[in-house]
Parts: sequence; structure tokens; C-alpha cells
Amino acid sequence: MNKPDDILIRLRGITKTYERGGESLCILESLDLDVPRGSFAALMGPSGSGKSTLLNLIAGLDKPTAGTIDIGGERIDKLSEARLAKFRASSVGFIFQSYNLLPVLTAAENVELPLLLAPVAASERRRRAQTALRVVGLEDRMDHFPRQLSGGQEQRVAIARAIVNDPLLLVADEPTGDLDRKSADEILTLLETLNEKLGKTIIMVTHDPAAAARAGVIHHLDKGRLSVEAHGEVHA
Amino acid sequence: MTLASLAARNLLRNKVRTSLTLLGVAVAVVTFLLLRTVVAAWTGGAEFAAKDRLVTRHKVTFVMPLPKRYIEDIRAMPGVKASTYCNWFGGKDPKHEREFFGQFACDDGYFDVMSEQQVSPEELAAYKADRTGAIIGESLAHVMGWKVGEVVNLETGIYPADTPWTFTIRGTYRATSRNVDKSSFFFHWDYLNQALPEARRDTIGWTISRVDDPARTAEIGVAIDRAFDDKDTQTLSQDEHTFQASFLAGFSAVLHAFDAISLAILLIMTLILGNTIAMGVRERTQEFATMRAIGFMPAHLRWFVVGEAGVLGLFGGALGVAIAFPLIQGMLGRFLEENMGNIFPVFRLPFGATVAALGLAVALGVAAALLPARTAARVKVTDALRKLA
Ligand SMILES: Nc1ncnc2c1ncn2[C@@H]1O[C@H](COP(=O)(O)OP(=O)(O)O)[C@@H](O)[C@H]1O
Ligand SMILES: [Mg+2]
Repeated sequence: MNKPDDILIRLRGITKTYERGGESLCILESLDLDVPRGSFAALMGPSGSGKSTLLNLIAGLDKPTAGTIDIGGERIDKLSEARLAKFRASSVGFIFQSYNLLPVLTAAENVELPLLLAPVAASERRRRAQTALRVVGLEDRMDHFPRQLSGGQEQRVAIARAIVNDPLLLVADEPTGDLDRKSADEILTLLETLNEKLGKTIIMVTHDPAAAARAGVIHHLDKGRLSVEAHGEVHA
Repeated sequence: MTLASLAARNLLRNKVRTSLTLLGVAVAVVTFLLLRTVVAAWTGGAEFAAKDRLVTRHKVTFVMPLPKRYIEDIRAMPGVKASTYCNWFGGKDPKHEREFFGQFACDDGYFDVMSEQQVSPEELAAYKADRTGAIIGESLAHVMGWKVGEVVNLETGIYPADTPWTFTIRGTYRATSRNVDKSSFFFHWDYLNQALPEARRDTIGWTISRVDDPARTAEIGVAIDRAFDDKDTQTLSQDEHTFQASFLAGFSAVLHAFDAISLAILLIMTLILGNTIAMGVRERTQEFATMRAIGFMPAHLRWFVVGEAGVLGLFGGALGVAIAFPLIQGMLGRFLEENMGNIFPVFRLPFGATVAALGLAVALGVAAALLPARTAARVKVTDALRKLA
């Protein structure tokens, strides 16, 4: 299932510059990146190195200044805003550092949220949300509101929301950044399971080496350049 | 869960703020409706006035009577269709000393001329057959607890008598127009006249005439007054409509001011709604960014914000109407009609203004949300999400 030539994400010559105060700031410079389908990749690097910027490009939240982004055969750098939104709705699951659940919705309703964009009947939406919550082990917290959950539980609801529409790709931006060690380990184990058992392709930004160690491959981003580190090695 | 229920949940998120906003909108709507009711009450009388009716009275004052024979001259005037006459009685029921109601001794044709005061044919016949019969307004019957067939005694300083004046209620009249008094007491002019000493007989307080052509009412009034110009008693004829219109002209500045205040209140309502919506949108920047990341479109967020404002306007408006209705229709309206009936004969919530207030609350809520909706739709997703980290 994990053929080396089966590349889900293919970045070529990705450059991202920001205009700030009249001068342009080059955050990413001619990056190439291949992420095989079904892999679990970590993205590390110093703060401000452009990890989130790169993740946002892959997830279709932002567009590169130059270069091409191919996700599962689709050139998303060329899509219109509307098409890009559709791409995100159908193909990407987002996991944020601060969970970003809607406080007015219950766990089950938060998980249902992405399905409102798909032609899915209400009862089916409910059923799929329950299934996703069962996957993350929160079937007994369906009707709890986010404020009634612990940080780790909130993040698990967010993961359920990310997988509910069965996306090609999960992107996680420092998913354990706000969690204690134990909750963080649970989240990482859950991501591992999603990767191994459900074959989800995952890209995770982190600056925690222990978290990165769970991934199959670690990419380092520094001064606009990427370098790869094989599993298990310490920093180059 | 649906997008609508999500929008509804958002309204309930900050209950204190939502309640205060609803209350603010409601107060604005109540004030608006109060102003519209005052304006309608003031101008309404003129609209209700029968345009084909003339009142002829003594040129100097109402209190001075006209000779009874004038009625024959007026009835003979070209253009006059029917004419009736009344005298002011000014009595009180000794058992209800504090109840004030008008009593009029009228000619039997009265109810033909005053078609807004309707009596059933049977009761009218019974009234005409009884020399001491009386017809009373439905409200008066209700307030005094008088029933048809009941005997009522009245005392008056204007027409002193050894024994109280005795009447038998023979029927009630129903007012088909709301500005017509519903608490009057009518009895036969002949009964009064025959009981008076010789010297006071055969006088009438005023006459009420209906004319053939409403367009010529004023003209006929002038003709009537001219006919009595060289007699010992001169008259003044006024048609109901011009009388009310000339009365209103003096108030036009006030009415314009009320219109201006009404507009100001609508503006305040818009600002209240706009402020609440803008605050809600600003607080939810990150939630909107999350929704956009998940795949919601700017149009979704725009509808979200606008819909929320519309619902807020609708509920605020409905609350305002719910408060205004018993306040104006029940308490204030009844009080003013009973105690200041000459200025506000009909102090009632105008239906059109009520519908307009509701519609405006929704429309202005939507208008107030347009700018915040644009802000929500234009949330820069990556920037908003970065602020979280
Ligand atoms: N919209 C923007 N305008 C200007 N500079 C930006 C913008 N977004 C990000 N940056 C800058 O780009 C750099 C990389 O940001 P980011 O990708 O968030 O880094 P990381 O996630 O690795 O900490 C930072 O220096 C940041 O200030
Ligand atoms: Mg970052």
C-alpha cells in the first residue's frame, strides 16, 4: 500500500515571499517536497521558519508566490478561491494547536460541521459524526460542549472533525503544543493509529522532538530550506 | 444540526448582550409605535370625519340655543338631505355621582343622520314608541351595568325639576366608526320640551345636517349661515372635516417633529443592532477562519451574519410590539380616550405602523449587518489562524 512512487503531495520550486513595509521577505525559497501516500511526516524547524506557511500551502489555505503544488494529481496552486474551498472541504482534514472547536456546538455537532457542506442527509451526518467520535474514543462525550472537555479530549474531537469526511490528507499544526505530556502522547498515538490502521496521510508540524519521533519521516525547515532526517536520528 | 441552528446558537452564546440588544430594539420599537399612534390619533379624527355633515350652532357660543323653527328652514335649504337637532342635558345619575357621560335630547331622526351610531330596528321602534325611552352607547351600558328595560333617574342643574327625570332604557347603539363616542345617552327632545316651563320651550342646542354632495358641504354651510344673517339669532355652520383639519394645521410643526424623532429612533435601533453584530463578528474572527479552513465559503459567513441580525431584529421588533400592544391598546389608549377624548378620540396602535415597525426592525437589522458581514466574509484565514498559535 505504501509504494515509494505513489506520491500524494508533490511540491516543486515553492517560493513564498511576504511584502512587509515595502521590502519583500522570502520565507520559503524554491522548495521541493514529496510526501508518499499513506505516510506520516513531521515538519520541524525553529519558530518563524515558515512551517505553518508551508503547511497552509499544502492544505490549500494559501497560494505560493512561485512553484507548483500537486495533491493527488490536482494542481491546487492554480485553483480559484471557490475551488480551493471545495478542495479543502473534500480532501483535507485540519487539526489546529488550539483545537478551534466552535464553543456553541456539542462534540457531535462540531464533528458534523464539515458534513454540512456535503450533500449528506441529517441522520447520516449524525451517524458519521458518531462513528468518527468512536474512532477517537469519545463516544461517551457526544453531547458535551467543548468547555466541558479537557484539552486532550477537545483535540480528539477536533481529530474526529478532521476525519469525518474521509479526507485524502490530514494536516496538523502543532497538535500537541497546548497539551500536557500524557494527553500529547494519547493524541500522537491516535494519529499513528489513523496513519497505520486507516492509511491516512498525515503532515504534522511540531517542535517537540518526541512528537516528531512518532512520524515516519522528519523534514527540517530552516532559513527557507528543507532537509530530511531519517527516522530515529538526532538533529543534524 | 443545520447552519440555521448554528446561527441560532450563536445568538444565545452571549445571553446578556443578546437580551440587552433585544430590549434596546424593543424600546425603540415601542417609542416608535407610540409616536406613530400619537400622529395617527391626531390626524385620524379628520380622516374619520364624515365629509358630508354640517353642524350648525349659535354664532356666539355653543351654550346659547337656537329657535326650534330654524330646523324647518335648514331642512328646506337646497342640498340638505336630512337634518336633526339636539339639546345638551348635562345630568348625572345620583347613584353614580362620579361617572361622567354626555346626555342629549334629540329629535327622532338623529340616528338616521348619525349613521355611525347604529340601533337595531326593533330597539329603535321600541324607543320611538316610549315617550321616556332612551338609547345608550354600548360602553355606557357596560360601565353602568344598565340593561334594556331598566329605569334610570337623572338629575340636572340645567333643567331643574321637582322629581328626577325618569327614563327607560329601550336600546343600545353600536359605534361603527371608532372615533364616535360610545358612552352617550340619547332621549326624546319632545319629552324634555314638554316638561319645561312655557318660556324655555322650543329651543334647540344645535342642528346636524347631511348634505347631498360632500364636495359642496362648506358651500351649503355658508348658505345656511347667510339665511339667518338678518334674523335675531345668527348661526355658525362647520363641516366636521374642515373643522378637524383647521385644528390640525396648528399642530403641523409638532407632527413634523414627531416624524423626525421617529426617524432618529429607527437610526438608533440600527446602531444598536449594528454594534451587537459587529462585536459578535469581531469576537468570532477565529471561528470564521476555522470554518473557512474547513471549506465554508465567504457567502456562507455573509449569510450567517446577516441572518443572525435579521433574527435579532425580528425578535426585538416582536418584543417591542408585544410590549406596545397592551401598553398603547390597553392602558394608555383607554386612559387617553376616556380622559382626553376631545384630543385623542381614537388612541389606537395603527395596524400599518405595527407591521412597518416589525418589517423595519428586520430590514434595519439586515442593513446594520452588511458591513460586519463583509468583514466576516473577508477574514484572512491564515492570518486569523496564526494569531491563535
Ligand atoms: N501575512 C504575513 N505577512 C508578513 N509576514 C508573515 C505573514 N505570515 C507569516 N509571516 C512571517 O513568515 C514567517 C514564518 O511564519 P510561520 O510560517 O508562521 O512560521 P512557523 O510556523 O515556522 O513558526 C514569520 O517570520 C512570520 O512573521
Ligand atoms: Mg507555526
